[in-house]
Amino acid sequence: MSLLLQTALLTRRRLLEAVRQPIWIFMGMSVPLMYLALFAPLLKPLAGGPGFPGGSVLDVFVPGILVLMAFGSGMGAGWVVLNELDSGVIERLRVTPASRLALVLGTALRDVVMFAIPAALVLLVATPFGFDPHWGGLGVLLVLLALLTAAVSASSAALGITLKQIGSLAAVVTGLQLPLTLLAGVLLPLSLGPGWLQGLAHANPMYYAVQAARGLAGGTVASGTVAAGFAVVGATALAALGWGTRTYRRAMA
Amino acid sequence: MTGAGAAPSAVRVTGLRKAFQSRRGRVEALRGVDLSVAAGEIYGLLGPNGAGKTTALRILTTLMPADAGEVVVAGLDVRRRPAEVRRHIGYVGQLGGADTAATGRENLILQGRLYGMGRVETERRATELIDLLDIGPFSGRIVSTYSGGQRRRLEVALGIVHRPAVLFLDEPTLGLDPQNRANLWDQLRGLRGMGTTVLLTTHYLDEADQLSDRVAIIDNGLVVAEGTPEELKRRHPAAVTITTRPGPADLAQLAGELAQEPLVRGARSDGGAIRVDLDDPTTAMAAIFDRLRDRRVDVVGVTLREPSLDDVFLHETGRSLRDAADPGEAGRIAS
Repeated sequence: MSLLLQTALLTRRRLLEAVRQPIWIFMGMSVPLMYLALFAPLLKPLAGGPGFPGGSVLDVFVPGILVLMAFGSGMGAGWVVLNELDSGVIERLRVTPASRLALVLGTALRDVVMFAIPAALVLLVATPFGFDPHWGGLGVLLVLLALLTAAVSASSAALGITLKQIGSLAAVVTGLQLPLTLLAGVLLPLSLGPGWLQGLAHANPMYYAVQAARGLAGGTVASGTVAAGFAVVGATALAALGWGTRTYRRAMA
Repeated sequence: MTGAGAAPSAVRVTGLRKAFQSRRGRVEALRGVDLSVAAGEIYGLLGPNGAGKTTALRILTTLMPADAGEVVVAGLDVRRRPAEVRRHIGYVGQLGGADTAATGRENLILQGRLYGMGRVETERRATELIDLLDIGPFSGRIVSTYSGGQRRRLEVALGIVHRPAVLFLDEPTLGLDPQNRANLWDQLRGLRGMGTTVLLTTHYLDEADQLSDRVAIIDNGLVVAEGTPEELKRRHPAAVTITTRPGPADLAQLAGELAQEPLVRGARSDGGAIRVDLDDPTTAMAAIFDRLRDRRVDVVGVTLREPSLDDVFLHETGRSLRDAADPGEAGRIAS
């Protein structure tokens, strides 16, 4: 009960903070739109080829972009948290009876909202250009990606508190971002690649998210791929929230 | 929300130890600290940087576990019941900890709600604190626009939203100008007047002396002296320097005689002046001046230097508090 209330209060605080920095909202919106405008046209000639079965290339590409957005929305949490470690905010909150899980969830839920709004915008913009998803499946997909954002947000926060240095955090997060996104088949389907690449991808939780995302956008909700996506991403989110809570419990500037 | 009612002391610390593992070895930050803070007093933990004050405060406020020792705050064991302890204490850290992207009022309201206070009650309390700490003129502004003094006031308000029985402050006046310092002292005295126990760390002598009811001098992870500032200072003599007009009297011999007087700890001549160390200057002074008149010594000036807590520190540690900031690592690394 108090966990819910505290989570709501702390999420509200984070959202207010975001609203007061409109530049980040603007950037959050513009990046995915740039992918659509500047990258999607390159895929046009691939339509109907391997990895792009029938329909519009956007049907393959947009789910990937959504996964990328979900990842990117959670990534920044570590910086926010590090800042608060330095300014004593975390110490102050840790002396209050507030639940440590609520502290992690406050940031994670803000990141989910900050993912969902530009995601809706991308869907809106892509539709007139031939993106033709299964809207029910897309609803389920957004739930899956909310879990992914929460997992990334909590992990980033935990990393920030653990590493304590902006430089180390930047190195680790950006160092992970590239292999994780490449090995997820976000931009191009991994089925285009050799077997070893596809094998390696199976170790990457994001891969399951992307696979499930393409299935869901196409309307296949009840499938093994989707179940695997929810299982892997859900487990990752739980583990990340647990990790984040643990680091908050011990956090020391 | 007090809960300290039945307990004789608001804070009781026995045998507190804490060591950190650093790359250069084990650093013992606290080596067996004992403290007892009575309910309703302002208690100062005085010591140089690196003495272990902040570590002690962090353990007392549930932020960090101790290696050994017992800590009871507001009648509750900190190790066993940290969640309950948190309901009874307030903490104003050295770093501050106000949310810089929110307004002062928003900060206060969130803090109150996190302590489980209802919406209406929190609003009322926020208004009350804005009044009490003079936050009114800027309570609606984003904290990142605040001056140092304004921010500190807000941070103290954040520490007492839930009316804690014990308020902990880590170097509360660090970086404040004299005016804001004096204001904060008054506000802390006001809190004491309302029954709040205040435990603060400081490396300022005057803060320990003038603000605190009792003081523990901490150095190198140990409490080296404890008592009211008066008690501590009374153990040390006041220094009276008497400047004389050149005359026939032999000042060195006179100093030797003065040293034999009751209540005089020592005396020596220094050029045209005599320096006398007195335990109780008000009583001893008359006898000294009688003696000077007998010897026809013309006094042209008298200065009295009362003992300070720095004398206490110097006596206990062999060095002055002013010079003691950040003792060498070597001194703190255990073998």
